[in-house]
Amino acid sequence: MARVLVVDDAAFMRKMVTDALTKGGHDVVGEAGNGTEAVDRWQELRPDLTTLDITMPEKDGLAALKEIITLDPSALVIMCSALGQESKVLESIKLGAKDFVVKPFQPDRVLDAVAKALG
Amino acid sequence: MSASTDDALMQIGESTAEAVAGVLRIFCPEDGQIVAGLVAAVPPGTHPMEGIPYPAVATGVSYVDGVTGGNVFVMTIKGARRLAASMMGAELPDDAGELTELDLSAIGEAMNQMMSSAAMATSSVLGKEVEIAPPELNQLADDTAAVQAFDTTPHAITAQFSVLGEPCRLVQFIPNAFIVRMNRALSEMTTEYASEYADGPLSPLVHDMPLRVWAELGRVKMPLDQLVGLPVSAVVELDREVDDPIDLYVDDLRFATGRLLVTDEREWAARIETVYGVRVGPPPLPLTSSPPTPSTTTQGD
Repeated sequence: MARVLVVDDAAFMRKMVTDALTKGGHDVVGEAGNGTEAVDRWQELRPDLTTLDITMPEKDGLAALKEIITLDPSALVIMCSALGQESKVLESIKLGAKDFVVKPFQPDRVLDAVAKALG
Repeated sequence: MSASTDDALMQIGESTAEAVAGVLRIFCPEDGQIVAGLVAAVPPGTHPMEGIPYPAVATGVSYVDGVTGGNVFVMTIKGARRLAASMMGAELPDDAGELTELDLSAIGEAMNQMMSSAAMATSSVLGKEVEIAPPELNQLADDTAAVQAFDTTPHAITAQFSVLGEPCRLVQFIPNAFIVRMNRALSEMTTEYASEYADGPLSPLVHDMPLRVWAELGRVKMPLDQLVGLPVSAVVELDREVDDPIDLYVDDLRFATGRLLVTDEREWAARIETVYGVRVGPPPLPLTSSPPTPSTTTQGD
C-alpha cells in the first residue's frame, strides 16, 4: 500500500485513477488539477508516489516533475500521457520519472506501473 | 483545388474518423456499441452542424502550432450521458436528463484522447508533429445556436457515428491555411521521397498514397468556337506521328516516355523507354513544341 498524490486537470481522470488505486489497496492522500497545485500538495503531503498528467493548464506535468525531482531526487513519479506525446514522455523519463501510462488505459495498467515503481 | 488535395483531405478525414472510433471502442468495448458510418465532404452552401438532433453537446479541439483547423464532436445529450456512464463503468441512462460536472469532464477527456489519437494520425499523413489545445465544451439548444457557434470554413469533412445507440457526428473544419500547409508538407514529402528513391525503397508512409497516372498520345490546339462546334464522328488530328513516343504523367509531372502497344488481351499498354524520375518543380517540356494550352489527353486512374 502506498500514499499517492493524483494530479490531472480533468476531474474525471482524477476519479478514474483514484478509483483504480483505491481498488488496488492504495491510499489516495491528495489530488491536484495543475502543476503549481501539484508541487504545493507534494511538499505538504510528501506522498510515497505521484501520478502526473503531462498536458495541464498553468504549469504542465514536465515542469512540475522537474520541481518535484529537485525537491527530492528519489521521488517516485508516474507520468500519464495521451497518445502522440512520445517526445514529452521520453523527456520526463530522462528527468527522473519512473514509468508512464498512456491514456486511455485500463485500471490494471495503472496498478502495474505503481507496483513496478514501488519495487 | 486539385484532385490530389481532395484525396489528401479525405485521407486525413478517414484516418481521423478511424482514430476517433478506436478510442471510443476502448470506452465502449462491447460489440455494436460504436458503429462508424459515412465519411464525406460537406457540400458547399451546407453548414456542417445542420441536421443533428438537438439539444446536443459539442466538444471542440483545435490544432496548435503545426497546423490550423479543428475538430468538433457533437453528441446528443443522451449520447453524452451514456458515453460518460460507460467511461465510469456505471449503468447507461435511458433519458436525456442533465449532464453533471463529472459527465462534462469525462466527455472533455474522451474528446482530448480521441483528438490526441487523431492528431497522431494527421501527423503521420503530414509528416510533422501536430499538437492540440485543451477541449472546449459547448451545449447547443438547436440548429440556430449550433450554426452561430461555429464559423464555416472553405472545406469541412463530417464522419457519422452511432455511440451507444445515439447518433453522433465528427466535424473537421478545414480552413485554407490548413490546405496550404498540407500541400507544402506533401510537396516536401515528395521531394524527400524523390531523393530517397535513388537510394532505396519508398518510405512506407507513401505506399498507399493515391496517384493519378496517365498517358498522353498527343495534343491539338483549336479555338473554342471550333471546339464546341465539333460534330459526332469528326476526326481531330493530333500533333504526333504513329512512331513518336508517348508521354507518361504522374500527378501533372511528366516522368517518362514510352511506346504504345496492344497486349495479347487486346488492351492498350505503354512500354517505358526513358524515365525522368518524379521531380518537384515545373515538369520537363513535352516532346512537342506546341504550347501546353488546350490539350487532348487520354486519362486513366
